[in-house]
Amino acid sequence: MSNPDYQVRFDKVRKAFGTAVAVRDLDLTIEGGEFVSLLGPSGCGKTTTLRMLAGLEFPTDGAISIGGRVVNEVAPGARDIAMVFQSYALYPHMTVAENIAYPLKKRGVGKAERATRVQKVAETLQLGALLSRKPRQLSGGQQQRVALGRALVRDPRVFLLDEPLSNLDAKLRSHMRAELIELHRRIRRTFVYVTHDQLEAMTMSDRIAVMHDGALQQFGTPAEVYNQPANLFVAGFIGSPAMTLLHGEARDGAFHHPAVTMPFGAPVSAGKLVLGIRPEDVTLGQGPFEACIRLVEPTGHEQIVALDLAGGASLIARAVPDMVLRAGETLRWSARPQRLHVFDATTGQRLAVTMTEAAAA
Amino acid sequence: MKRSILGGIAFNLLAWTVVFIVAFPLVWMVITSVKPQFELFRIPPTFWPEQITFEHYTRLLFETPFLTYMRNSLVLSSATTVLVVGVATLGAHSLVRFRYRGREVLAQLVLFTYLLPSVVLLLPLYLMMVWLGVANSLFSLVIAYTSFALPYALWLLRSFMQGIPEDLESAALVDGATRMEAFFDVILPQALPGIISTCLFTFILSWNEYLYALVLVNTDAARPLTTGVMSMLVSAFNIEWSLLMAASVMMSIPLIIIFAFLQKFLTRGFGAGGVKG
Repeated sequence: MSNPDYQVRFDKVRKAFGTAVAVRDLDLTIEGGEFVSLLGPSGCGKTTTLRMLAGLEFPTDGAISIGGRVVNEVAPGARDIAMVFQSYALYPHMTVAENIAYPLKKRGVGKAERATRVQKVAETLQLGALLSRKPRQLSGGQQQRVALGRALVRDPRVFLLDEPLSNLDAKLRSHMRAELIELHRRIRRTFVYVTHDQLEAMTMSDRIAVMHDGALQQFGTPAEVYNQPANLFVAGFIGSPAMTLLHGEARDGAFHHPAVTMPFGAPVSAGKLVLGIRPEDVTLGQGPFEACIRLVEPTGHEQIVALDLAGGASLIARAVPDMVLRAGETLRWSARPQRLHVFDATTGQRLAVTMTEAAAA
Repeated sequence: MKRSILGGIAFNLLAWTVVFIVAFPLVWMVITSVKPQFELFRIPPTFWPEQITFEHYTRLLFETPFLTYMRNSLVLSSATTVLVVGVATLGAHSLVRFRYRGREVLAQLVLFTYLLPSVVLLLPLYLMMVWLGVANSLFSLVIAYTSFALPYALWLLRSFMQGIPEDLESAALVDGATRMEAFFDVILPQALPGIISTCLFTFILSWNEYLYALVLVNTDAARPLTTGVMSMLVSAFNIEWSLLMAASVMMSIPLIIIFAFLQKFLTRGFGAGGVKG
């Protein structure tokens, strides 16, 4: 159901500041009406990517297009986009109504129509009572909604959101997440959402673009990114608590690690490999392997368990809340072979390797 | 309790002593300007005038070129202020917002010129004015004052501009404003307190300047108040104290008015910062 008018495309886009490369050879196509998150740690190039799409930075190389039109040379105001900033960037000397009306004013919309459209947006966002206030008289959540209103009022093709929720407290944040999802469902415009918070990315996005070190690591649905991480970075970055990564090697048709030996489902050439195990794929209490409990963190609905493995590695597992676990105890464990992830240790890339049940030691 | 009352009294006493010391010359200036000539050098001196007269004021206004000097000073200071603040505002914005080669070096060079004693620049400037054919005019003084007020103004405004979040300007650009519109709609209102204090600084500097005015201009048509009053009332043989004091009072009035008017803006402006993130 994608609308080509709202499509966003990065074609071999590169951005360098002097000798420092912020974004390298980015190829990314965001379908019209899609909600896409750019996710990564700080300094990964996600904000630079967004600012290039906004026209606030110029790509060193490559082409950026919106709705099939290359916009490299187009001024920000003429790109038919709206942006919500992390700092909200409300104009402090203007009232809420003037703030929301500003983009309309700059596009030559008449006074009467401006007033109607501001009124309409204010109703949608429950800002009606605040229209004559100045930004500094508003709470963080209200400022956030005004910033959203200023973006909404123009009905642009693409919404750019730069960590818009990071200045809100936890409760308000989850509330605004729900509102943003609802808003996106209603207006069906393209949303490009920059965040370092994987929870936001996982819950809101149609697809997630994981970035690291200026390069796109993986672009896929939240389920794909979680279940089939393309490389070691994505595997380690997505998921909380993080995936356990065991460095070992392939030898005699099996993966060998001091604590874990597991046969492959199909022949694998010898070499150094990394085995990834998600905490929820570990079964404690029975199985072929052995570990010593280091730390137990009960969260109420589950227990997060840190275990020491032979060879100095550490394993993180989830356990049901009523299981009796004591630090210092040694217990047996297993991992579901079909849920494991195998990576090449040198390139870091995911390998299409299947595992089978290990024989009891 | 007793101690704090005593402390309060001591503090007030000290504060008022300081105020008195600072204000006394000003009070003496006003008092002297309304005393008749014969009362000035009486021994013992009188504090309050026995007789109040405005003859010095009327003499200054109607029998001397005082009003011409006043007009010159007003034109000179206003023109300098407009020029300096206009250039410095745009320049400071450029230094803060745009990335280009040599930006930091440029900013530091500007500061370096500010560090040079103005006497050093006096002769080169005079020669330049002669070459340009504008020597001995108000315009030459405007250029000279701009040359030494601009560096400081630029740095003052630069620090103000650095306090304005870049996101505000980016937001305006995305909202459809051109660079100029973003500057006038968003940056300028935010920088207003800085601009007003820069205006005050430049105006006072030009209003009180003496050395350049003395060297660059020697006709009554282009003399500002500082040098005009001096050459008119102070000679090697005689100082016209009454007239000098009356002139001083009238010279202070424009500054007092400007301060009274702008102080309100200054304090109001400092309170209204950007939205905290």
